[in-house]
Parts: sequence; structure tokens; C-alpha cells
Amino acid sequence: MTTPPRLGHANLGLGVGLRAAHFEHILRHRPPVDWFEVISENFVDSGGRPRHVLRQIAELYPVVMHGVSLSIGSTAALDFDYLGKLKRLAREVDARWISDHLCWTGVLGRNTHDLLPVPFTEATLAHVASRVRAVQDFLERPLVLENPSSYVTFAHSTMSEWEFIARLAEEAGCGLLLDVNNVYVSSFNHDLDPAEFIRSLPHERIVQFHLAGHADYVTHLIDTHDHQVADPVWELYREAHRLTGGVSTLLEWDASIPPFPVVHAEVLKAKQFMGERLPAAAAVPAAGDGRSRDLSDAAAPQPSGAAVAAPGGHPAARAAALAGRDGPAGGALAAAPAPHPLHHLRPEVA
Amino acid sequence: MRPPLDIVQQWFQAVVTHPGGVAAGVASPDAQGLVRLDRGALERLVRRSSRLTAEERLSIYANAYYARLLECLGDCFPVLRQALGGEVFDGFAFDYLQRYPSRSYTLDRLADNFPRFLDETRPDRPAADGDRPAADGKAPQPSWPDFLIDLATLELAIAKVFDGPGVEGEPLLGLADLLALRAAGSFATARLVPVPCLRLLRFRYPVNAFYTRARAAEASGPGDLPFPEAAAEQVALSRTDFVVRRYALTPFELEVLGALVAGAPVGEAIAGAAATSALPDDALAAQLDAAFRRWTAAGFFRAADLAQRIGLGQ
Repeated sequence: MTTPPRLGHANLGLGVGLRAAHFEHILRHRPPVDWFEVISENFVDSGGRPRHVLRQIAELYPVVMHGVSLSIGSTAALDFDYLGKLKRLAREVDARWISDHLCWTGVLGRNTHDLLPVPFTEATLAHVASRVRAVQDFLERPLVLENPSSYVTFAHSTMSEWEFIARLAEEAGCGLLLDVNNVYVSSFNHDLDPAEFIRSLPHERIVQFHLAGHADYVTHLIDTHDHQVADPVWELYREAHRLTGGVSTLLEWDASIPPFPVVHAEVLKAKQFMGERLPAAAAVPAAGDGRSRDLSDAAAPQPSGAAVAAPGGHPAARAAALAGRDGPAGGALAAAPAPHPLHHLRPEVA
Repeated sequence: MRPPLDIVQQWFQAVVTHPGGVAAGVASPDAQGLVRLDRGALERLVRRSSRLTAEERLSIYANAYYARLLECLGDCFPVLRQALGGEVFDGFAFDYLQRYPSRSYTLDRLADNFPRFLDETRPDRPAADGDRPAADGKAPQPSWPDFLIDLATLELAIAKVFDGPGVEGEPLLGLADLLALRAAGSFATARLVPVPCLRLLRFRYPVNAFYTRARAAEASGPGDLPFPEAAAEQVALSRTDFVVRRYALTPFELEVLGALVAGAPVGEAIAGAAATSALPDDALAAQLDAAFRRWTAAGFFRAADLAQRIGLGQ
């Protein structure tokens, strides 16, 4: 049987990751964004303003739920309490689909709150596929899984990441969230060809794209979500768009978050990479004032120079020094953290 | 080397969360008990890249683990971090993560044990658990660890009230309802149902006032923020229109509210609190009248439960 494009999901257009810093702007100005993606964990337990805002936004825009704690690759038991909350929230906001990452986040009762890599072996594939099927049965909908950025690979892997992803999608019947920036970051870190990565995926199963900025530490890239999208990532996006025929595209910006119009303008740049029939605008509208401006002026400088300590030193090293012990080894390595898109919404206090 | 997935994951976690870093993590008994691997042989399990060794690559995860969680804890306690300074706060937070690593799918619970941790690790804590009796057998005088614990408790409570269950959009018990109860002779026997976002806090240091000063200082730029002198402070937290509100309470008001929240009828709550107060009845009555007006205006109560007096179902 032929798999329908995008597993039958609609192409929602160009969306933006919903972040607390933009709540006020969105509710006040109702910007013409095609859709929003929300971090599931920011809302499943909320009884306050975050959930209240989400309900309003879900009335105005299509919403997709994107999680960071499913831990589908873990050998720890699935958390059905968490899954139940996901299911309830998805009903509440009419989530078009639910996604998470092809990774694990912890074992032995602990959560590192990081997206940790799995070895790409037959045993891992069988394990993850069975868990995806269990989750899909529980949620009563196909799961959509994202390729994470990664910084190590395992010596005993027996297949490439793209082969693993393709076989997992086939065996478990899940959809794929292709994070184009993650492909670029992981390919750089693992000496792979990002174009081959994208060409080798089952394109009909790709439901959504992610775009984001990364930080360049010369010896490696880190998926920091604190920059505009890098040019090579846009080129990969062009190819991914061509291969899939176009799917819902979303920009993530999780640190040093600029005003909403800047974030929105960044995702609108995707139109330039969708094919020759679409105008390739050199400038994008700055929301609110009706004028145009060149956003290249606003581009944050990329870290450069290398494998040296991050500015100010690593907090853990400082903390460890306070405690009178050695800091993490490899302290000479650039130590910018991977993004953690859980909300840091400061309470509103009178 | 082809260890099974569960062993790989336990080993990986032991290595990248080790407080001493990757090399210490690899050498730790936990990791060695899972995968017997010397630091020099790491590449039998983790590949090197063209630019980084296996240890350097693992360090990216190790560094990110602490950086992410320290940042999160700092966000949970902005005023405490401001009071202590970033480096000292991070030292506490780093030690906290060793004793109370995250065990939840959400970072919102990461800080839940931080006040307890500060109490457990206070330098003047006696070896055995229990209260800290002074040499003369009296209750110990508050000292700076109490300030840190109180401030952390306040900030944690604010965060919980902010994103916990609330009553926005629901009808609440108003002053007119209380006056109607009084007119009907039901006030003393009524039980007032508190809103779920109401928190009552008793502090040894005036941390609520300190919190206000710190926020003002934050708004006006960096400045000196000395620790306050010890002084008892009572505070109620609640939430209206999704904004956390702080209310200073007298000791008597805290006693009354505490009893009401515990389910006592109004008359019993007042009598119990009055018995602990040295103030004359007239003064207490005046305080109560003003307090109930403030509490109803602040939306502390959802309803008055008269079930026991009037008998439901009759």
C-alpha cells in the first residue's frame, strides 16, 4: 500500500514555535502566522497563564504539539501518566499531530533533560519500533519523530542514522519531523554528507520540517536555537522541499529570543527556497510598520575561534571549583549547552 | 564491544552526569560496573570524529547537562541568585543536583526539593535529624541559612501558585456573602472553602519585603542588596487574573487563615487564634473585620460550606 504524502496530514504552511516571550504580542496583534508548534511539557501540567494563553491561541491558529520528554529510545518503561496528559492536551487544543525526538532522555528514574543518542543497531531498531507502536496505540494517532542533533556516535552502530530512521518509519508506521538544521549539525559533527542524509529518507513520511540556528565552535556545531538559520541549512531546506513537494515548516528560536516580528520574518525566508515560481525577496516585511528591512543586519555573530572555553567559563566548572573539586573534564572544550526549550516564564507577581 | 542498549544507556548517563566530568565518570565505580573501559579505550564504544576525541565529544553532553540545569535552577530562584551572586548560587545548585537529580518529565519540578536541600546541608545543622536546640534549651535564633531557606521557599511557592490550579473566571465568595451569612447567624459555623492557589507562609526573615526590594533593585540596576535582619514575617500568596499576589499577614491573621484552610468553622478558627494572641478582644475584632474584607476582596475563598449546620439532603 502506498503511504500518502505527509501521512495524510495537511501542509500547514510556515509556522513558529510558540514561546512565552511572545504571548503578549501574539494575543494583542494576532500576527498572520500559518500555525504554531508548542512544547508539550510547557503546558501539560499548567493550570495558569501558559495554558490559558494556549487555549486562546488554539482558537486562532492550528497547533501542533512537540515534546522533549517522551524518551522513545530509552530502556526505561514508558511513562503512561505523561502520555495520558499529552493525549488530553491534544484533544483540548485540537493538535494536528504530536511529535517528539528519536532519542532517550534518561534511565534509572532520572531525566537528564537532554536529547541523547542511541546506537543504530538492529536491536535498538526493534526496541524503538515496538515502543513507537505502543505509544501510537495509546495516543490513537501516528507519532511523528524528529532526528535530533547529536554529538557522538557509537562504535557498534551497524547502520547509518538515515537508514535507521527510514526503517523505523516503515516498521512502526510513524511520521517524520525532518529537522534540517539537525541534519546539518549532526552531519558536520559526524563527518557525514547532509545532502545524502536528506536524499536517503522516505520523503513521503516527512510530515514537518524544523529550521533553527546553530552555533559554530569550529571543531563541532551545537544546536543552540539562538541564531538565524545558516545559509547552508537554507540550501538543504531547498533540497528537502523539492524532494517532499513541501511540508509544514516551522522555525524554532529558544535562546536570545528576539521580538516576534524578527522570528516570524525568519521563517518567511523559507519562501525563497521553495522553487522558482515563488518570488525570492531580498528583504522581508518587518511586522507592524509595513516597511521592509534587511534582516541580515540583525544577524547575531557566530561564535568563532574555537575549541576553547566558553566566555566566562562553564558554570559547572565554577560551581565545582566552589565545592573544591575538579570540574568536568574536557573543560577546554567549548561548552555552550544544547537548547532546552522548556519555558522559563518568570511568574507575574504583584 | 557490543553492549546491550540498557547497559549503554546506564553507562552513558553515569558518565555525562558525573560531577567530576567525563574522565572521572568513565573511571567511576558506577560506569566501570557497567562497561569496563579505560579512559584511553573510550573509542571502542564512542567513535571519535575527524576533529574531536571520544572524550571531547562526550564532554559536550556533560557540559550541557550541568549548564542547562543550573540555568533552570537560577531561573526558578532569581532573587536568591541575585542575593547570593551567580557563582555562589551555582555552587549550591550544583551540589543540589547531586542529591536531587531530576526524576520528572518536566523541569517545572526540578526545584521542588531545593529549600529542603538547603536545610539538610546547612552548616549549623546537628549531626542527627531534629530541631536545633540552643545550648540553653530554647529555640535557636534564626541565622543566615534560615534566610536562604525562607527566600527559596517563597520563590518556589510563587512559581507553584503562578502555574498551578487557579480560579480565574469562577465566582468567588465576596464580602456580601459573608455579610449575608452573618445576618443569617451562620457565619460562626460556616466553613470557608479556600481557593486552590492560596498559600500561607511563615518566615523567620522578612523575605517577602526583601523580594520586593530585590525586584525594585533589578529594575533600577545592580545595587547593594544586604541580607536583612531576622524578623518574623507572615505571608499569603494567591492568584487573580493569572498574576501572583502577595499579602502581608499579622500573626493573628495567619492563625485564623491557617485554621480556616485546615477546615475549621469560622468561629472555631477565630477562637483558636484569639487564644494564642495577647491582644485585647476589641483589637482582634477590628483586625478581623478588616482582614475578612481584604481576604474576600483578594478572592481567598471559593464558597462557604454550610453542610454540617443545615444538613444537605433534608
